[in-house]
Order: sequence, then structure tokens, then C-alpha cells
Amino acid sequence: MTDNTTIPSDEELTAYLDGELPPAEAARLEALLETDAELAARLEFLSRASLPFAQAFDPLLAQAPKAELEAILSRLSAAPAPAPSRRRFLGALAACLVAGVIADRAFIGLSRQLAATDESSEWRATVADYIALYTPETLAGPVPSLAAQEAQLSAVEARLGLRLSPEAIALSGVDFKRALLLQYDDQPLAQLAYLDPETGPLALCIVRSDDGPKPPDVEARKGMNVVYWSDKTHAFMLIGHAPLERMKALAGDVRMQLAA
Amino acid sequence: MVVAYTTFPAYSHANKTAPARPARSSVNPVAEAAIASESDIRSGLTENLSRLWRYGLVLSHRRDVADDLVQQTCVRALERATQFQVGTRLDRWLFAILHSIWLNEIRSRRVREGQGFVDAEQALVVDGARETETHVMAAQVLRLVGALPDAQRASVFLAYVEGLSYKEVAAVLDIPIGTVMSRLAAARATLAGNLKEEGGR
Repeated sequence: MTDNTTIPSDEELTAYLDGELPPAEAARLEALLETDAELAARLEFLSRASLPFAQAFDPLLAQAPKAELEAILSRLSAAPAPAPSRRRFLGALAACLVAGVIADRAFIGLSRQLAATDESSEWRATVADYIALYTPETLAGPVPSLAAQEAQLSAVEARLGLRLSPEAIALSGVDFKRALLLQYDDQPLAQLAYLDPETGPLALCIVRSDDGPKPPDVEARKGMNVVYWSDKTHAFMLIGHAPLERMKALAGDVRMQLAA
Repeated sequence: MVVAYTTFPAYSHANKTAPARPARSSVNPVAEAAIASESDIRSGLTENLSRLWRYGLVLSHRRDVADDLVQQTCVRALERATQFQVGTRLDRWLFAILHSIWLNEIRSRRVREGQGFVDAEQALVVDGARETETHVMAAQVLRLVGALPDAQRASVFLAYVEGLSYKEVAAVLDIPIGTVMSRLAAARATLAGNLKEEGGR
């Protein structure tokens, strides 16, 4: 090869062999090859490197530890987030605020105002914000059939890793209305909504928690009474407008039913 | 029954961008997009694990490093799911992530730690080869490619094994197309020369 710029370089010959040369340049090269034996010899030399690459490397694919890599990937992708829940959650907040729907239920003596700021209480604050927007109309409609309850609960319990039967979550004197799967801090949050004919909406909410078992305690949030407790794997809260003693009794019942 | 979709008037989508909580509702669509494409990225990763591992092996010549490279590629791809441009080739994007991890993190770390890589000729070996003529040829190709300098080897692998265009190779390696051309031309000259020496053809 000479350094004459009109003589195609190895790069151009390679691009020609690889089908990457623009048509005009390829035509010019082909014309040169007709007359330039040295160039044709160089092209022939470079073309010897057109080896069966794909075939040679194919067996390496089978050597990949596919099962292990898939296991690694699935660990990375644990607990994928259900997108619609959060949108609905925020949508509900926004819509209710705009509509000026304010929970105006009369309540309820709870003298101490807890200023708990620890992490484990944040989710209860979020839930309280949400439940405060509920009115009896939010939960209007018939009580779902037992089969419908089971179907709703089974979808929730799968995500939450907690067995929830209609019997275990039943509250005496209060109608179960629906189970809703929400999301808090990228974790599934189960909201079981009830309607108390006397005091209005009531909800039992559950998240996964490894903070350890804690006996029931009480607090007031958004003008509602909250009874909260946890076991080894989950944290629970019962929130509603019913008087504190009634809330404690309901929470005690459901806690025993769930532990049974 | 789809529990989360129980209908309530308060859940109407028409109202979701209401101004009462502008900060939260404007952040939300971004998070949703990330979640949506993250599942695409995950399934794309699943489909391409073996190819990514093979590329990691070609780059590093070590199986354990190839494992690491794939794992880190998975982490990075899921983190950056929002950066993937829908409509472009996902496998190319994943190759580019793996390559940048190799270049910027793993290779430099090993050089600093003074750990070399095993000899190229030992690395790219097909188990149970040398039985048939096809295997002899395959083993020779692996040996020849394995002996190329790092930069040429990556270009040859992407262009000739994975079938990427020059433009795609340039994007994966983050280099100009002209550099791809010169690496492939140099690689061809080396391969053709070594083939001759080995008495191939």
C-alpha cells in the first residue's frame, strides 16, 4: 500500500467487507479493484479474517450460569411496586381536598396528643391523613358477599404475606366494606375498610414490619382514635371515629382473631 | 377481582392533577414511568443474561468477573430504567452499561490491586472441544480473538459475533465510528496474519 490518499485504506477495505461502505464509495472501490492487483490482494488478505465468529462463540452462551444470574436478578427485583395504587392514593387526596371534603365527624375524647415522630409512626400519620377524607358515602353500598370478600382478601394477603380470612378480620357490629391494596414507602399496605352505622368509616391497616412485637397502644390522629400494635412480621392499626373504649375492644377482638 | 381498582368517585383520574398538592402530583408521573419501564428492563435483562455474561467473559477472560459484571449491569440498568429510550434496542443499551462498568470500575480496580487476568488462550475455551473439525475451527477462532488487544477484541465481538453495525458498536463503546473502523481493520490484519502463521485456511 502507498500513502497516496486515493488508495483505499485498510479501514475502507474492512468497511467494504463488512457492508458498511456507502454505495458510491463501494462502487469506486470496486472499480479500483478491477485494475489494482495490489489492492485486490490486500482485500483478499483482510477477507481471510472473515471467520465463523458467531458459530465459534455460540457455545459460550451455554456456559453462562443462567440459573444463578436469574436468581440474582430476581433478588434485585423483589417486591415490584404496583403503580396504580399510589396514583389512586394521591388522586384521592387531591380530589378530596379540591372538593373540600373534610371529615367533620364529631369526636372523641383522647386527652393525650401524641407527638410521636419515630419512623414506625409515620405510616400511621399517612393512613390517618387518608382515612380522614372518608365519609360514610365513601363506603356506601352493599357488604360484599363472602366469596367476594375472600377474593379481595386473597389478593391482599398474597402481597402482604399474611393470612386474612373474612372471619379473622370481621368486627362485631361493623360492616366490612372492602380490602384495598395501597403502597407506603414502596411496601404494600393493606387497608380493610369498614362502616360503623353509628360513627362512620373505620379501617384496619396493615404493613410489613420487623420492628418486633408491641402490645396495643392508643393515639389520636386527625380527630380519630387509633389503636396500634405489631407482631413479629407486621404492624397493625385500627383507626376510626368510634369512642376510644369501643376502638380498644374492636382492636382486641381482631388482634386475637388474626393471631388464631 | 381487582381490589385496588374499586371504583369510588373520589378516585377519578380526571381530578388527579388538581392543584391542591402540586408537588406530589407532579412528581408522581415520573415515578410511574420509572416503574413501568423497570419491568420492561427486567424482562429484557432476563432475556439477555447469557449474552451479557458472554460479553463479560470476552472482556475479562474470567468467569467470576463475568458473573460480577452481569450482576452490576442488572443493578445499574434497573436504577437507570428511566434513561432507557423506548423504541431503541435494549440489548445494545445493556451491552453499553456492562462495558462502562468494565472499563470504569472493574478493570481499573483489578489493575490497582495488581491482579492480572489469566492468559487469553486459557480463557475462551469451549468445554469438550477438540473433537471434531468444527470444534477445532471454533477453538482456533476463540484463541485468535482472545489474543487480540482489549479494544480490538471488544469491537470484533460486538460487530462480528453479536452482529452490531459500526454505529451501534460506536455507541456501546462510546467511541467515534472512525475508531471502530480502525480497530476492526487492525483486528482483521492481525487475525489474517496469525491465521496464516498457524497454517490455517
